[in-house]
Amino acid sequence: MKYRLKLGEDISDLHVLKSESPDTLRFVADDSEQDVIFRVFDGSRYQLTVGGRSTEAFVLRGDQGKHVIVKGRSFFVQDADELPQRRAGAGRDEDLPGEVTPPMPAVVVRILVKEGDRVEKGRGLVVVTAMKMETTLAAPKDGIVKRINTSVHAKVAPGDILVEMEAETHE
Amino acid sequence: MFKKVLIANRGEIALRIIRTCQEMGVLTVAVYSEADALALHVLEADEAVLLGKSEPSESYLHIDKLLAAAKRTGAEAVHPGYGFLAENPDFAEACEASGLAFIGPPSKVIRDLGSKTVARRIMTSAGVPVIPGMLEAATDVALLSKEADRIGYPVLVKAVAGGGGKGMRVVSRADEFTEACLSAGSEAEKAFGNGALYLEKRLESPRHVEFQVLADQQGHVVHLFERECSIQRRHQKIIEETPSPALNPVLREAMGRAAVSAAQASGYVNAGTVEFLLDGSGQFYFLEVNTRLQVEHPITEMTTGLDLVRQQLQIAAGSPLAFTQADVVPRGHALECRVYAEDPENRFFPSPGLVLLHREPSGPGIRNDCGIYEGFRIPVEYDPIISKLVVAAGNREAAIRRMIRALEHYLIAGVRTTIPFLIDVLESREFRRGSTHTDFIDRHFGEWTQSREHGDLARMAYVIDELASPGRISAAAKVAGVPTPWQRLGGWNL
Repeated sequence: MKYRLKLGEDISDLHVLKSESPDTLRFVADDSEQDVIFRVFDGSRYQLTVGGRSTEAFVLRGDQGKHVIVKGRSFFVQDADELPQRRAGAGRDEDLPGEVTPPMPAVVVRILVKEGDRVEKGRGLVVVTAMKMETTLAAPKDGIVKRINTSVHAKVAPGDILVEMEAETHE
Repeated sequence: MFKKVLIANRGEIALRIIRTCQEMGVLTVAVYSEADALALHVLEADEAVLLGKSEPSESYLHIDKLLAAAKRTGAEAVHPGYGFLAENPDFAEACEASGLAFIGPPSKVIRDLGSKTVARRIMTSAGVPVIPGMLEAATDVALLSKEADRIGYPVLVKAVAGGGGKGMRVVSRADEFTEACLSAGSEAEKAFGNGALYLEKRLESPRHVEFQVLADQQGHVVHLFERECSIQRRHQKIIEETPSPALNPVLREAMGRAAVSAAQASGYVNAGTVEFLLDGSGQFYFLEVNTRLQVEHPITEMTTGLDLVRQQLQIAAGSPLAFTQADVVPRGHALECRVYAEDPENRFFPSPGLVLLHREPSGPGIRNDCGIYEGFRIPVEYDPIISKLVVAAGNREAAIRRMIRALEHYLIAGVRTTIPFLIDVLESREFRRGSTHTDFIDRHFGEWTQSREHGDLARMAYVIDELASPGRISAAAKVAGVPTPWQRLGGWNL
């Protein structure tokens, strides 16, 4: 079985093979092969033994992936095949989404532009605050502010579109 | 002793204070905002009073509401914790005026020491070394620029009312000076309502070493030795230890004496912290006095065996200190790590949200002062501190190993935390060697990411969870009627 797993920005392939014993799996990555003996303690608690050394792991399901903790280090792991595909050609400014969303749950402190404003890439649009830290959300590309969907003091979360931008029509 | 104390704070520090009150037989009143209705300090206190909306200005910073809560519940004293109103002289004054004991220094002392230039003048007259620089604040850029030439570049531009790095700039060249003053001044004006600035000589790679002091109302002052807090990000400490690896007995004695002089010169009463910068040659300079309980106070408690909150309550109630300087003999080594709800892989961005899993470490010499629980939603409105994890052991190396073990067994899921970052700092050769300076993180951990090895284990755990838990069918699979991973696993061909 093959998995494409996304961890942070990194996507890598992992092949998994069943072995003679039902509690052992063989993981094959690009250049290595490892047998992992596992034991299920409860719904989210596991013991993994790799190369004779045992590690405790916790796996909790979140909305779009799993929170995994090993040795005090937590990771958010996602199945890359189930994520929305990136549009081809991403990386060019025109293909960047013209929607601005906060990187974390936050509260809006200031709105720096108004609808109809022409802004350059990198220009601050909205200032949000979370846990006493202020962050300025910047324009992802040159364009016109098409709509502002938020107001000062509003509670916002990642995925909420605070500002919609549209490309400037070239004359 | 007081019969009832109101705690004008939230989170782990409110709980920390409640615990000592419970042990002393003192009743506690918690206050809370709408966002904290289900917070632990509300659960633990004998009484709890709702202050108002979640914004700090409508709740934990609202002086009138706090005083009304104290009056209504019959509290005789107020403990401000740290942050919020802890160093606000108006709050201390308002408590004094309404007949409440403020568990901290008198309002005048807070006001004097809160002004960086007044504090520098007090220390200079008491013979406590201050960083070369100005004793009077100014707003005139031409005058500031002349002072900068006198002090010599690099200089540090600081807001007179400042704190937390706001209104602060490092200037290494004369032609950058005017611009730095203008932006620092406007930032300070916005943050503190006071744009006045002063200058200090910029020290290269100093250490941050502070001394805990206790002063009673009878005029006795003792120090409880040092804490080194050089590991900082965004000018905020994240790892603290005592004793400092940089002090020898002679230097420790000199700095301890200076800290006691600083407290005496300012008329200090209650627990306070005298902060110093220490340069590579063993010269130390007064930085500021924190007129409150510090976040990192537990490491001093671990090595001295004293409960600082108990000392604070006794001093505020008028009892003299029950010991002298000679009685204070620290033992072993203690470390504190601040566990913040922040993403260390993404510039320490705050990470509020629902805590899905919370398991605390345990074992000999481990203490965790924590304000959250599994199922708690960490609010966006307040400081990101989740807990302070503290360990003590016989020596520095043993304390570091104990802390790494404790961090590896501190399991938090749902929000990002600083735990993996802290483990890597403690494991680094530079930290082990004790070469800890205030630029440590920028210099050694600026581009930090989690190690590949642990990421691989996490991926394997993901797959095992996918394949091995028959009861855990994903929502998508249920809807589509797709065979569960367990069923698929059975059908493999090897």
